[in-house]
Amino acid sequence: MNTNSYFLKEADFDSFVEGLMKTAAVYAPVAKKNWFVFAPISSPKEVRLDHDLTILPPKKVIFPVRQDLVAFTPEGATSSIKPEPRILFGVHFYDLKAIDMLDLLFRENNVDWNYLAQRENTTIVGSNIQKVSRRAFWASVGKGVKPHAHDAFLTKLPTGYVFEVVTPKGEKLLACGQFKAATEAQVSEARRINEEILNNCPEKLSHSSAEIADKVRAAFKSKLWDELSLTCFSCGTCNIVCPTCYCFDVQDNWNLDQVSGQRGRAWDGCLLEDFAKVSLGAGACENFREHRGQRYRHRLMRKAAYLNEKLGGPACVGCGRCSSQCVPDIADPVRIIETIMEN
Amino acid sequence: MSPQTQSASATYSNVFVPRPAEIVRAHQVTEMEKHFTLKMKDGQPMVFEPGQMLEVSVFGFGEIPIGYASSPTRTQTFDIVVRKVGRVSGAITALERGQTLYVRGPLGHGFPMDKLRGQDILIVAGGIGLCPTRSLILYILDRRSEFKKFTLFFGVKTPKEQLFLEDLAEWRKSAAVEYYETVDRADESWKGNVGVITTLFKKVAVNPNTRVIVCGPPVMYKFVIAELDSIGVSRSHIYLDLERRMKCGIGKCGHCQMNDKYVCLDGPVFCFKDIEKLEEAFR
Repeated sequence: MNTNSYFLKEADFDSFVEGLMKTAAVYAPVAKKNWFVFAPISSPKEVRLDHDLTILPPKKVIFPVRQDLVAFTPEGATSSIKPEPRILFGVHFYDLKAIDMLDLLFRENNVDWNYLAQRENTTIVGSNIQKVSRRAFWASVGKGVKPHAHDAFLTKLPTGYVFEVVTPKGEKLLACGQFKAATEAQVSEARRINEEILNNCPEKLSHSSAEIADKVRAAFKSKLWDELSLTCFSCGTCNIVCPTCYCFDVQDNWNLDQVSGQRGRAWDGCLLEDFAKVSLGAGACENFREHRGQRYRHRLMRKAAYLNEKLGGPACVGCGRCSSQCVPDIADPVRIIETIMEN
Repeated sequence: MSPQTQSASATYSNVFVPRPAEIVRAHQVTEMEKHFTLKMKDGQPMVFEPGQMLEVSVFGFGEIPIGYASSPTRTQTFDIVVRKVGRVSGAITALERGQTLYVRGPLGHGFPMDKLRGQDILIVAGGIGLCPTRSLILYILDRRSEFKKFTLFFGVKTPKEQLFLEDLAEWRKSAAVEYYETVDRADESWKGNVGVITTLFKKVAVNPNTRVIVCGPPVMYKFVIAELDSIGVSRSHIYLDLERRMKCGIGKCGHCQMNDKYVCLDGPVFCFKDIEKLEEAFR
């Protein structure tokens, strides 16, 4: 008997989610046209734990697309940090790994409470992958890196869910539903399901993270970057949909009174042409990554090499969002890495 | 929302909240550059190392990274020089004495003072590269006995782009610094050296054991480094003050990355030895 594992009958699922909604805003995967998105829900019926992949990663619940940092008036500036209790529900393990990375990166060096305050006020419930997205490669990337971001984890069985409690925050959620202790058979069935899904990825990296990091870094001056990025639009989609990308721009916006306003940040992307551009004056400028091949290379270096030491593995979790949403289909890390490894 | 969470919002420190600084002196130095002397409104001294920087802002316009242009040995006020090139710098340079700027800093890593003390020093400054290096120049002049031979090279495109004219006049006469200057293109008023900054290396014998600080436009570094290599200056004795798009100043936003380094966090001053293999460090 696993004392941290509980069982929730299928029939009790909706009342559990309703219970969660009474304690905090619940963000879960819901259907949107022929895709899925993480969104605040108003009914348990909206929740789609059978989603294969969401358009944007769940980082947006903690690190919003646009966020006020500071409010200003002629008298001065005040902090805009105002976290609200949220439950982030139904997160696949690869997205949990990405949240772990953001937690580390926003905490290191200069602690950024604009991220961490909402993170602390977010309870995360992971869920098993029921359907595999068509470009996923999460089974073969950063295999040694296990997720820690979740407070509890749901695994779907034919008659209900095994609910594994991981943290005290996760334990509190037990009060929201009709849980029973899970049987040993249910726990081992959940484990089997979560292990077996790893055999179902359509894409696969054929080398270890360390081998990839070395070879990719050594290929910095390769002509491949220019060749592979020939059809790149510099649109930044690969950045925006990435669960581990966290670059942002800082901009001021006036209120209508033209004396007060907000200094805020918004997601930015290193593939965009002016990302590293500075003005030198008199109309002159310097773009430190002027060519799309340089920007294209920078993204993959960040994912496969630069951050590995810090993160204990690559800054890529194999979700396949960039692969499936890049219009010219040149962003797939598996194809880029395999090409480099073969050269 | 629980009451506990609501009250917690006030307890989270926010690295993006800037502090007000009063402009106690504003001086238009050239057509494009304005020199400000600032005093923190909270009365606290600004404690920094030469070479560090700060984010300077005008509300409604935004923030830009600027190096300190004064020495930390002068504690009551500090200086910045802003070149008018865009929206934010335009808003800053429109301000005058008595008005308020908002600042966040000090940020980043400055010149390694412990490695410079007791050594021969050469500073090579191009254009507004003189602004952040002025912090170190004034520091050395204020504590002259802590350093050995002190040489300064300053180059600009044309004579009217020279900054800190009072300082330059003093340094030309001073025995405390061996000062050499040049312009790329002379006008009728100019009597001095004409040529790019590397032509100044012909004017003086640089001891190979000198510690060298280089700050200027991106194109300048590789030519200066080639000169230093030919003299035999160790790459671990060369320090470069680099410019990038430092948007957040705290090593998060990503704009100033060169390879795996954040210029705002790991720099803006780097030992050349540490970055010579970074492909993105040099043009």
